[in-house]
Amino acid sequence: MYDLINYLWETGLNLLFSPEIFEPLVFPGLIAAFSLLIVVIWLERKIAAIIQMRYGPYYISRHTEGALQLVADLLRFLFSEVIIPKSVDKIAYVLAPIILFAFTFLPIVVIPVSKDFAAIDHEYSLLIALALMTLYSSFLLIVSWASNNKFSFIGGLREGFLSLSYEIPLIISALSAAVLFDSFNLIEIVEKQAAMGWGIFYNPLAAIVFLVVIIYSTSRYPYEIAEAESEIVIGPFTEYTGILFGLGMGISYIKLYSMSLLYAVLFLGGWEPVVWPLNLHPVLPGIILFIKAFIIVAFSVFLRAVYPRYRIDQALRIAWWKLFTLAFLSLLFSYGIKIIEVMG
Amino acid sequence: MGLLTNLVDHLKAIGTGLKYLIPRRLTLMYPEYVEKLPEGYRGYLRYDNEKCIHCSLCARICPANAIKMYRGGDKKLRPGINYTRCIFCGFCADICPTGALEYTTIQDIAYEKLEDQVYPPEKFAKGVPQPVYPEKPIFIIAKVDEERGLKYDRV
Amino acid sequence: MSEEGYMLLQIGPQHPGSGHMRMLVKLDGDVIVDFIPDVGYVHRTVEKIAETKLYIQNIPLLEKPILNDSGNANLAYIIAVEKLLDVEPPPRAQYLRTIMAELSRIASHLYGIGILSILIGSSTGFMWAFGDREIFIHLMQMMSGARITYSYMVPGGVRRDLPDQFREEFRKAARYMRRRYKDYEKIIIKNPVTRARLEGVGVLSREKAIEWGTVGPNLRASGVAYDVRKVEPYAAYEDIDFEIAVREEGDCYARLLVRFQEIMESLKIIEQALEKIPNGKILAEKYEKMIQPRAKKLVEGTGRIKFPAIYVNLKPPKGEVFSRVESGKGEITVYLVSNGSPKPYRLRFVTPSFRNLLTFKNLIPGHRLADFPAIYGSLDYFPPGADR
Ligand code: SF4
Ligand code: SF4
Repeated sequence: MYDLINYLWETGLNLLFSPEIFEPLVFPGLIAAFSLLIVVIWLERKIAAIIQMRYGPYYISRHTEGALQLVADLLRFLFSEVIIPKSVDKIAYVLAPIILFAFTFLPIVVIPVSKDFAAIDHEYSLLIALALMTLYSSFLLIVSWASNNKFSFIGGLREGFLSLSYEIPLIISALSAAVLFDSFNLIEIVEKQAAMGWGIFYNPLAAIVFLVVIIYSTSRYPYEIAEAESEIVIGPFTEYTGILFGLGMGISYIKLYSMSLLYAVLFLGGWEPVVWPLNLHPVLPGIILFIKAFIIVAFSVFLRAVYPRYRIDQALRIAWWKLFTLAFLSLLFSYGIKIIEVMG
Repeated sequence: MGLLTNLVDHLKAIGTGLKYLIPRRLTLMYPEYVEKLPEGYRGYLRYDNEKCIHCSLCARICPANAIKMYRGGDKKLRPGINYTRCIFCGFCADICPTGALEYTTIQDIAYEKLEDQVYPPEKFAKGVPQPVYPEKPIFIIAKVDEERGLKYDRV
Repeated sequence: MSEEGYMLLQIGPQHPGSGHMRMLVKLDGDVIVDFIPDVGYVHRTVEKIAETKLYIQNIPLLEKPILNDSGNANLAYIIAVEKLLDVEPPPRAQYLRTIMAELSRIASHLYGIGILSILIGSSTGFMWAFGDREIFIHLMQMMSGARITYSYMVPGGVRRDLPDQFREEFRKAARYMRRRYKDYEKIIIKNPVTRARLEGVGVLSREKAIEWGTVGPNLRASGVAYDVRKVEPYAAYEDIDFEIAVREEGDCYARLLVRFQEIMESLKIIEQALEKIPNGKILAEKYEKMIQPRAKKLVEGTGRIKFPAIYVNLKPPKGEVFSRVESGKGEITVYLVSNGSPKPYRLRFVTPSFRNLLTFKNLIPGHRLADFPAIYGSLDYFPPGADR
């Protein structure tokens, strides 16, 4: 009997700690993402509040400066009535945000936690991650279309325009990292960085472009254009209530998280340096990765308190002129470094 | 050149944001902290039955028709107030020639019923309603401060 | 307004960016081709109510529509009443009125800046401006005893003298505001995103501004140096040396800058007023005499006054007068007709937001949807003020 329990326990544990389960479910997947979601939205409000000389969330848990605010919000979203307006396309209206939420998680699974711990260790894992990231906007369009509301519609259109323009600099700047490290495999890219030094020092241009694209594509200020409250209420999610709205609120943060993870892998040396006691188990270096990603996330949400928002045409111009050119230059820059390396 | 100043301005904006990350809050955490308002604040009114000379000036000047004169058992007119209408302009207290009506610094009263806010003369004369706080508040005085804007000193 | 190919967008009254107002926007793609501001959502029949109230009772009434600049609304009405009654307030009262009007202007400008900031998405600008407004509200509360509805000025003078600590408190507030201005400059005024959103947007040319009857900072941002404080000095403005903030560009950005400039100028005006303020009575001799001695004794040493009983029975002689003041949002005009009874026969109350309505309507078409809140905010348009 005891043996049986022991056996089950061990296989269970092994199963849990196998990359295929652990990654999507615990880290960097569901559990980590949810805890980050809860912390980060609180942090965003708190940072903005402090800069604006207020308190921000406070009364929900006074001793922790209101850190449980988001748990309370989530509960409220869960229990509040989901009102489905008569005029909407019901199936799309209900399903689209859920699918969108699920799809936003997908890129996370591709991101390796450490050298020996990756759910998908593929030669082209960078490209897979990038491809999965671009699924986002198409479902947001469905959300906005299904709502049958003018504000949602405008928000969806804006998102469509924006995604068309940010995807190219996103991919080019990611490619310049790939060129720099001669690989599309995320694990290899980190390994190379461990040997050579972080990508951000080799190609700061690509790093900057990628950072701006993260802010751009996840609707952080100053690119919070698709939701622009004073113009189009809350953009694609105008008609949503209850938990469906809650999902909509969380989606951009999840996306921010997944892109920040990718950023940490591409430019900040991923899980390196692996020092004691992190080398005891292949999962542990993930902590470093998480911290790096978290800093990016925190910086992005901090910008809310600094900037107003751009107008849509200005944002598009920035993407097509500045970001595109800079991304292209960064690609050339990476080639330049390669050439020097080869010659030298 | 334009690009460079642009960049500098971006950095300055972000820098200012970072600078303000040191908490210096302007919020007054009511009701844990309650401002003790200075003398002369136009809050709830105090009515002194003894001093009243039944001149009705208060009712006549009241811009919101909050004060109504009631004829008492002794056939004399006395003011009663309806706080649902009062806008705290303080005109009634300022025109009252005997100081029978005066403003107090009390302002944060909550009522359960609208009817509770109507004070006929007898009730009006009993005194000013007192605010109720969930817990004993810390009273403070607000002062302008060069560094923080407003600072709140405990009394 | 519903032909093919256009989208008709109803913004407000329940919209995060509309305020208490319904606006119809006709869109061609992202560009606004037609715009109808549908005023009247918060119409409160102020002018009609004023005919049913005593002269003194109209003081709080007229403050209500322009709630965020009630000091100036108060002043406009009182000047008209004093013209009818033919009383002249003592000099000290004139200075106190000036101080009140300027504090009120600062508060109003901070309000406008805050609203503009949040409309273009800067929550920090919004919170900062509203937070700093609190300081000036604190100062006005010291003077008048109320936070928003001051009802500070009465026919013949003001209700209270300066409190003792006021000078000291104001000195600190002025220092604080000047220091803060540098931070405002970095995070809002010179923020490249703000500039991108406001520069060259909603350009109001000098000619159009005059043609459409624009008033206030919006007019001065279009290069017209017109300020009632200079043109027809009232209160103590004649003795005070100040400059009119003018800019030539006429765009949203210029309007924002003019507001900031005026805040700084107002601080100087108050400083001067505090320096020059003469000693003496705060209520006209005519009314001062009428206060009963025992009532006077009650307020001795508090700096407050008691109203003379005549206030409930002010019967100006027959006649009609016109008064105007420069409020934070622009010119407030009051036209008052008396038929000799204790209540006004007619009161016409023209608010700056109402006069800027035409500018607002004409300025919007041709801009993008996202410019709509920017222009709306930059005009400091206050729907309750326009609707009255
Ligand atoms: S404070 Fe003003 S509104 Fe209130 S009762 Fe007195 S006169 Fe009337
Ligand atoms: S004004 Fe004063 S004395 Fe006259 S009736 Fe009112 S409370 Fe009494």
